[in-house]
Amino acid sequence: MKCTECGFEAPVQNFRYLYNARIDASISLRQCPQCQARLAVDELAGEATQKVGDGEAPWGKSAGIEGLAEDNAS
Amino acid sequence: MAAEAAKDLSIQELEKEGQWWWIAEKKRSRRLDYLRKAVWKKGALGGNYAPGIKVDLEMPTLFTNMYNWWKYDPPMLRRAKALAHVLDNIGIFITDQAQLVGYFGSMPNTIAWRLDGASIVNEELYNEPGIMPEPEEESLKKVAELNSYWSGNTAVDKLARVLDPEDAVKFLSGAIGWGAPTSAYGYSGKDYEYIFAGRRGFLDIIEEIDANIEGAEDRTMGMPGPDILPLYERLQNWDAMKLILEAAIRYAGRYARLARTIAENFETDPKRKEELIRLAESCETVPAHAPQTFQQSLQYDHFIQIICRLEAHEGAWPARPDYYHWPMYDKDVNIEKNITGEEAMDLVGEFMIRAYEVGGFGPRWAREGLQGITGTWVWTLGGVNQDGSDACNDLTLAFLKAARLVRVSNPTFGFRWHPKVSDKIMREVFECIRHGLGYPSIRNDPLLIQNSMHWHGHPLEEARTWVHQACMSPCPTTKHGVQPMRMASATANCAKMVEYALHNGYDHVVQMQMGPRTGDARKYTDFEQLFSAWVQQMEWIMNTLVRTVNLGRFKDPEFYGRPFLSATYERAVESGLDAVSPVGERGNCWVTFFTWVENADSLAAVKKLVFDEKKYTMTQLMDALEANWEGCEKMRLDFVNGAPKWGNDDDYVDDLMIRCLREVARHSREMKCPCGNSWPALPENVSGNIHYASIVGALPNGRRLGDALYDGGISPGPGLDKNGPSAVLKSCGKIDHVGDGRAFLLNQRLSPTQMAGEKGYQLWKAYMRTWADLGLDHVQFNMVSDETLRAAQKDPEKYQEVIVRVAGYSAHFVDISRKTQDNIIQRTIQGI
Repeated sequence: MKCTECGFEAPVQNFRYLYNARIDASISLRQCPQCQARLAVDELAGEATQKVGDGEAPWGKSAGIEGLAEDNAS
Repeated sequence: MAAEAAKDLSIQELEKEGQWWWIAEKKRSRRLDYLRKAVWKKGALGGNYAPGIKVDLEMPTLFTNMYNWWKYDPPMLRRAKALAHVLDNIGIFITDQAQLVGYFGSMPNTIAWRLDGASIVNEELYNEPGIMPEPEEESLKKVAELNSYWSGNTAVDKLARVLDPEDAVKFLSGAIGWGAPTSAYGYSGKDYEYIFAGRRGFLDIIEEIDANIEGAEDRTMGMPGPDILPLYERLQNWDAMKLILEAAIRYAGRYARLARTIAENFETDPKRKEELIRLAESCETVPAHAPQTFQQSLQYDHFIQIICRLEAHEGAWPARPDYYHWPMYDKDVNIEKNITGEEAMDLVGEFMIRAYEVGGFGPRWAREGLQGITGTWVWTLGGVNQDGSDACNDLTLAFLKAARLVRVSNPTFGFRWHPKVSDKIMREVFECIRHGLGYPSIRNDPLLIQNSMHWHGHPLEEARTWVHQACMSPCPTTKHGVQPMRMASATANCAKMVEYALHNGYDHVVQMQMGPRTGDARKYTDFEQLFSAWVQQMEWIMNTLVRTVNLGRFKDPEFYGRPFLSATYERAVESGLDAVSPVGERGNCWVTFFTWVENADSLAAVKKLVFDEKKYTMTQLMDALEANWEGCEKMRLDFVNGAPKWGNDDDYVDDLMIRCLREVARHSREMKCPCGNSWPALPENVSGNIHYASIVGALPNGRRLGDALYDGGISPGPGLDKNGPSAVLKSCGKIDHVGDGRAFLLNQRLSPTQMAGEKGYQLWKAYMRTWADLGLDHVQFNMVSDETLRAAQKDPEKYQEVIVRVAGYSAHFVDISRKTQDNIIQRTIQGI
């Protein structure tokens, strides 16, 4: 995987796993061992997609009426 | 929005923008505005203290000096003398504009250090750069001296020597629970019925103690026999109680003198002079005598809370202010018209600010679990009187209005809803939620009264007095119901139940055999084998924690002792026993269940994908878990999205949740507290879901080591409740909220856009009707948009006053860690 910030390349496991705020998404936060940038990583593709700064939301909006679900209960 | 720009907007424009904190600033009185801004924030920012916050070394030094001096005294008397020395000598201050006084540090920017509780907490002081008073080198030397004295002599050190060594090691590993089994860090209920309903000042109690001493001395001078032997110790305890009550009266007297000194020598504003004289009169009246005015009533309560906090690091603040201060409010505002509603509002607002000010030093694990605050000050409002009639009143309204003006994150409110609550009150409750405070939480009063009777046998009239003992658990305020010590140590990290069931009791994070060896999960051939292992691990975790807490409670009068608390408890004053003694208490224990819902979701995923559909083998699953799902993302997503999740009204997983809870409830009835009563479970999280993120390993619900756990109680995982709010309520409604546990926390997030205006209120009210009809005991709401929260992450300086509901408490959004912030943002916003 290649760091989008500094270009450092290594297997994805070498980028420290921080967390995934949405368990049902395949996006995680990992940290570049070289430049320490927090990266959004597509875990299925094994690719860093962006550096995550303050206020940025790699997971997109919350689920629910501002994102996904309506009231579908029977 | 910049402060300058916001100040130019009208209240209507700010309402439209949802900028409630600017509205508060425009609406509150000048006094409240000053007091709110003058207070120091003591809650840790993520895990660190704010700049300028210093640990107070005056109280620990005074206490230790006198404790050492009286080394041959029995425990309660020795502590009473040491605490009296603190009350007589600690630095005191009066904040400008204040009408209420009392703090447990010697300066407004200090946090108190409870140094006789646990050496492992004391050692943590060295790990906190910046909190030592200047000159730092001198302070560190003083800390080292104090630590050297207390090392091996704290309550937990003493307890650790009598605990089973295996229990002690496993408990202290931090993997299965948290807290310290001593009243040094307990949550003590207050015997409000004795003090406030009984209209007693401390001089009245001293009179009762004197009579008891006289009666006991008559017997110890009389006919010899075994019945008089316990009296010798009780006589010393009564001496201790009397001594500390007298010291408390002197402590208030010091504030009175300070107020008069300022008024007579320094204050030039005649109005403020008058206020200072009134403050002095207040401190000359209470706590010596029962309060005569609303101001004195609040002051009396605050003195009791502060002195209790000088005696022990109290992690909660059980109180019911609209009920116990109502008689004086009614007298002053409505009947005699001594003060106006606005003047009363200033007192109510300040009463909240004085509580917000309180902060003690806590170790990092405690601060991470309670990010942004220093304890769970959940005050109880509403509810019923002892005869079952509606207890809501004008003071209930005043507290709800004051909360929106002062916007503190601590205290918060839990509102006891019942069918007779008026629309007027419900609108005020809703306004607090709409203003983004995250409180009040709503509690189902009739159901929780029934629950108190079911689990602990509290009589109906006593059960109706209940207050929140901590975040969630009801506890009566009566002679036999009030609870002196509920340490945070009967707190289970429940995700370990399923983790240990899968790993043969071995903990791969702390690398230790923790639970029983229940079998190699790779060899399981059907789901029942896994479930049986789960039951054994659940019982082991609960047993280990409860054994530790029971012993801590039983030995506490010997290892710690609460002279002041005892002096305010009717049963302790009557018996001469320490308030912490189980004698005379009915029992009101519970095991807090952190990280609970992961069990049902994980078990359901294994059942469906491994045993029902046979899509994966147990070996494949265990390999993936041991690799922390690394390299198994497709499979991980299958375990998340291909298996039913709690909160969607899906019987497959909901039935498993109920099955787990029934096993827990069975075991809760088997375990007994020192009073002989049961230990029901209470699922909730504070921010333990973040603290345990790096302690709980990968789970079959798709979670990896490092990910936050679900936000707690019976709340579904963030983003996993895909069928809307009714489905969430229906899942939660399948739980028997009386027989399955003590209480069940439910977080819900609503859209500020949808909840706007009268339509929003009516929608919410309809939602609450469904909630009540389905028999849920708790719900609390976040009503702040993604947009605002992301903006606050980006520019925290501009959003200092945005408040969110974390779990059983609220916090300023900018004070919690990024991981917690993201966890809150990803909670589903329900459209109702």
